[in-house]
Amino acid sequence: MVHSTQCIKSISTIVPILNIEGFINRGKTAVMGLWIQISSGSGEPIYVQVAEQISEAIAKGELAKGDKLPAVRKLAAELVINPNTVARAYSRLERTGLVTSKTGSGTFVSDPKLRRRDAADINVLTERMDNVITRGLNLGLEGRDLIELFKGRLAKFVNKKAERRKND
Amino acid sequence: MTETVLETEGLTKYYGSTLAVDHLDLKIPQGCICGFVGRNGAGKTTAIKLMLGLLRPTAGSSRLLGCDSAALTPAIRQRIGYVTEGHRLFRWMSIAELEKFQRSFFPKQWDDKFFADMIEYFNLPKKRKIKNLSNGERAQVSLALALAPNPELLIMDDPTLGLDAAIRRQFLEGMIELIMRQGRTVLFSSHILGDVERVSDRIVVIDKGVLRANCSLEEFRAAVKKVILSFADSTPAEVDIEGLLHCRRSENELELILIGPADEQIGKWADKNGAEKYHIVKMNLEDQFIEYTAPANHRRLFRWEET
Amino acid sequence: MRFLALLRKELRESLPWMLLTAIVFLAIGGFSLREAHLYGMYDWSERYFSSRYISETYGLLYRHSPLQVIGPVLLLTSLGLGLVLGVRHFWIPYFTRTWPFLIHRSVDRTTIFWAKLAAAIITFLISLGAVWAAFYSYSCHPERFTMLPIKRVFIEGWLFIALGLVVYLGTALTGLSTARWYTTRIFGLAFATVIICATIFEWRLGWAFAAIIIGAAILLSQINDTISNREF
Repeated sequence: MVHSTQCIKSISTIVPILNIEGFINRGKTAVMGLWIQISSGSGEPIYVQVAEQISEAIAKGELAKGDKLPAVRKLAAELVINPNTVARAYSRLERTGLVTSKTGSGTFVSDPKLRRRDAADINVLTERMDNVITRGLNLGLEGRDLIELFKGRLAKFVNKKAERRKND
Repeated sequence: MTETVLETEGLTKYYGSTLAVDHLDLKIPQGCICGFVGRNGAGKTTAIKLMLGLLRPTAGSSRLLGCDSAALTPAIRQRIGYVTEGHRLFRWMSIAELEKFQRSFFPKQWDDKFFADMIEYFNLPKKRKIKNLSNGERAQVSLALALAPNPELLIMDDPTLGLDAAIRRQFLEGMIELIMRQGRTVLFSSHILGDVERVSDRIVVIDKGVLRANCSLEEFRAAVKKVILSFADSTPAEVDIEGLLHCRRSENELELILIGPADEQIGKWADKNGAEKYHIVKMNLEDQFIEYTAPANHRRLFRWEET
Repeated sequence: MRFLALLRKELRESLPWMLLTAIVFLAIGGFSLREAHLYGMYDWSERYFSSRYISETYGLLYRHSPLQVIGPVLLLTSLGLGLVLGVRHFWIPYFTRTWPFLIHRSVDRTTIFWAKLAAAIITFLISLGAVWAAFYSYSCHPERFTMLPIKRVFIEGWLFIALGLVVYLGTALTGLSTARWYTTRIFGLAFATVIICATIFEWRLGWAFAAIIIGAAILLSQINDTISNREF
């Protein structure tokens, strides 16, 4: 009975038309504020989009060490994508060491100190940095300006993380 | 070991002298969402009807849930949900009457509450007759009727043709909901490649009746590549790169559509043939599909000339 | 359970035609009977049916029963109903493309046809059979009519109803046929027409019924074949 009222009256979240009572009972540790937006028309594979956005959330401190990611099925139902896609995104995150999965309990954000970094990841990071540097130089910025900009942004991230740790 | 829910062998169908389906050899495993894509008139609907035993093949055979399509028993049909092209239902029936009719064929499987919840969610009055429903509403009823008996295999023939984005999304949700139950499989044909990209595990491409691809979506996405190479002088006369599908030349540029080669191989070939620079274009599924099914001498419809 | 669901659906679809036929037959037949009652004439048949053939063939034995006039009305209405029901049951699903929805069911294909046939038979019985029986019992009263009907007239009426069902089967076969040439497809209707001609000009009731039974059997077997082989 509760379920069908939720279906019609809930306007803040579009609830999928399924028996989510089970999920509601089990997934009470679902992360608040994890907002993922995927688009099927961009060139990026969907699982990459999901992985990247979770990765960003971790980097920004919105997800901290030990936080539980939503259950694969729950996220799949909310994003309306195949559960295998979500699973693949989680695998990708696991491979880069950002999350660890414990069979039976779920997937959790890993300890930053325990994360591996391999050469490929550093390559991607370097590529991105090159991208940013190129853009900055094209805009006419000088090396100094870029460094100041970088410092400013980094400070924001670090502060956010510190704030979060304070609130916990 | 996953079962095969659909198996076709040399499935062929001629309409008079027109070849609609040409020696289709398919195997779809259980538990996936499989998207059938193809251009208009490629033979998707014909293939689906052949599989369901609604058409008789000119040659070849097909098996659904292990049973020959020409002789699908009532018991097997009970396990297969089918959303027909155009969602054609009995116009004089009301939603409630249609439910009653449909339910009598699934005495043990029908989920009353599920159907009622769906109809309530869609805001459809049960007493309204089908003929007084809009296309979208009729599609919604069709979806509810197909999902309520909890089918093992759901086959949908272009279910979102002409429907708005919200209803298309509801159909996708329905597919996801079904696939999360144990042992279900969904087969759907669609022109909206964004939808296919979103929910499919597997993709089947049918082009002029011929099977062009049957693989996981990931494989297809990774395999179809577009590369643009610029050359200082003229483009090489012979393009002997592995996996070449199409090749378009303009003065100093080559546009290649490739199936399969790794990025490094492309780089090597570019270097070997003296390309100044090359760029692997990021394509979404729709672009990949268009390139993959384009004819050999495909040109753009309209061309801008520099004056 | 499933057959009943199908039967209910087919009956509901046939209902408007059932009512229309009953009303039309009741109206025309009732009007004719009333006319005969008022005029009390027994050469009344000559006034409305100047066909010498009918009055001569039938006139020998029972020219003067008013019920006799309703016979041809029954025949025409019956053939019309057969055609209309055949179209409704077998042509309309093709044009509205609802065949795939109907065929993909957890029943044998032939069951779907039997449900349609059962609904057609019920329609004929109610809209024509019952009314015909009512007319017959109404005409059997000496205080109303000077000339009482003979049982043969009554039986002929049932013959006409059966012919209507033959037309139904013929229309069904034509509607189901997927032969490439239209001349082949028309076989169902053509064959039904042949049966009609063979029967109504046949004096001997026994032979008439035999022709109907054989014709219906042939049409049924053809329909059975077509349903198993047909592509929907």
